[in-house]
Amino acid sequence: MEEKKIIGFCCNWCCYGGADNAGTGRMSYPPNIRIIRVMCSGRINPDMIFKAFHEGADGVFVGGCHLGDCHYDAGNYKWRRRAHLIRFILDEMNIDQRRFKHEWVSASEGSKFQKCITEFYDELCQIEE
Amino acid sequence: MEYLQVKSTNPEILEGGENGGAVTAILLSLLENEDVDGILNMKKHDDVYDGMPSYITTPEELLETTGSLHCAPIMTADIIAKYLKDSKIALTTKPCDAMAIDEIIKRNGLNRDNIFMIGLNCGGTVSPLKAEKMIELYYDVDPKDVVSEEINKGKFIIELANGEEKDVKIDDLELEGYGRRENCQRCELKIPRKADIACGNWGSSKGYTFVEINTERGEEVIQNAIDKGYIEVKEPSEKQVAIRKKVENVMIKMAKKKQKAQLEKEYPSPDELQDILTRCIKCYRCRDVCPICNCKVCSLEKEYLQQSPEEKPDPLLMHGIRMGHMAFSCINCGQCEDVCPVEIPLAKIYQRVQLKYREETGYVPGVTSGKPPMYSPDKEEVAE
Repeated sequence: MEEKKIIGFCCNWCCYGGADNAGTGRMSYPPNIRIIRVMCSGRINPDMIFKAFHEGADGVFVGGCHLGDCHYDAGNYKWRRRAHLIRFILDEMNIDQRRFKHEWVSASEGSKFQKCITEFYDELCQIEE
Repeated sequence: MEYLQVKSTNPEILEGGENGGAVTAILLSLLENEDVDGILNMKKHDDVYDGMPSYITTPEELLETTGSLHCAPIMTADIIAKYLKDSKIALTTKPCDAMAIDEIIKRNGLNRDNIFMIGLNCGGTVSPLKAEKMIELYYDVDPKDVVSEEINKGKFIIELANGEEKDVKIDDLELEGYGRRENCQRCELKIPRKADIACGNWGSSKGYTFVEINTERGEEVIQNAIDKGYIEVKEPSEKQVAIRKKVENVMIKMAKKKQKAQLEKEYPSPDELQDILTRCIKCYRCRDVCPICNCKVCSLEKEYLQQSPEEKPDPLLMHGIRMGHMAFSCINCGQCEDVCPVEIPLAKIYQRVQLKYREETGYVPGVTSGKPPMYSPDKEEVAE
């Protein structure tokens, strides 16, 4: 079986810091994730998610700040609204919803980041091709 | 006054127009009293299956636009947003036009104060080629002989050159795959209440148009037309108002039923749908014709979203992205489906996404006031 590829969009202020925290804390997580740093989860639009799937990603992960903690006040609320729409569209496009995941991870939650990615990877492995 | 029955006083309009020619008479009063620079209206071109949007500035031209054209499903919202943005105009709007204009206004593409909308109640339109075929098959008439058509009391009625009228029940036509366009069958908005006034024949006395007044400006214009002698009015009885309401409710109920049938029961399975979607040849017609698509620079043309010309177009990079931009505001006007050269049931796909979005957020495009929640800066607490 080919290696699973996960594209992870992480917001600069929280989730990216969380990934950093996991690294410095030497918490291992599947190396299948390729992290793309964005300034805010509110910056991510459906185009980017669909592009990732088009390029052959098995899973797409989006990490943002916890609700209420957004560095730009409300970016993660905007992202959440988009994420719901993306799920409706994935249904029509015959893409398993389990391949798309978003989570709130703060900069100090290295262990949560580790847990999220590990679980996501395991779930992707279970999906039959 | 919220409801009125209106009739033109002009004999020429009475002859050419339907139900007392109220719409043409009101347009005429607007034009002659210079409340507007011009009027965008549909004109019969070659025959009843061919409508042509025309920008009208003289009363003579206006008289050529009387009468209904159910077999020419043309939308005007895009045209005025593109070409008539800065003029003060009046136009007739079907519910889908009214919804489209509303969505364009929400995207700052038009100024509401510049347009006077005369809404036309609508039970649906028929696509022209299907109409010709249907008239040949079920009416036993040469489609060329039809001089006018009308939809009334669930029947599609045609009038021939010799004055003869023939009708067939729309339900029977639709069972055979003819009749109204599929998106019209699913449409839930029958009376355009975002228009200044909404006109129709449901519940009206013979020779009169039933008018619902929705805005202050609508009331002013009607009052003006009465004072200057363009129209005669009488109040409808309570019973007539109830009949109109009943017709509307029956139609909405039918539309909901059709939605269930077309968007769930008969809807292709995910695998089938994928096969259908990969037929896409990326001609971009659906985008060009979409009244919701209003961006100055289209994402579909961004460099990082391009595919190599030899590659098979990926529906994700075409319809996925398109839906991400407009599906939450899709008004189900059905134009995308009309123009698609490979017959992808686009309106169904988009409407399905819209209905799911509506269920979650309560946003009904073209009807709910205020911008779609997708553009809101709010920090609402909704369950994950």
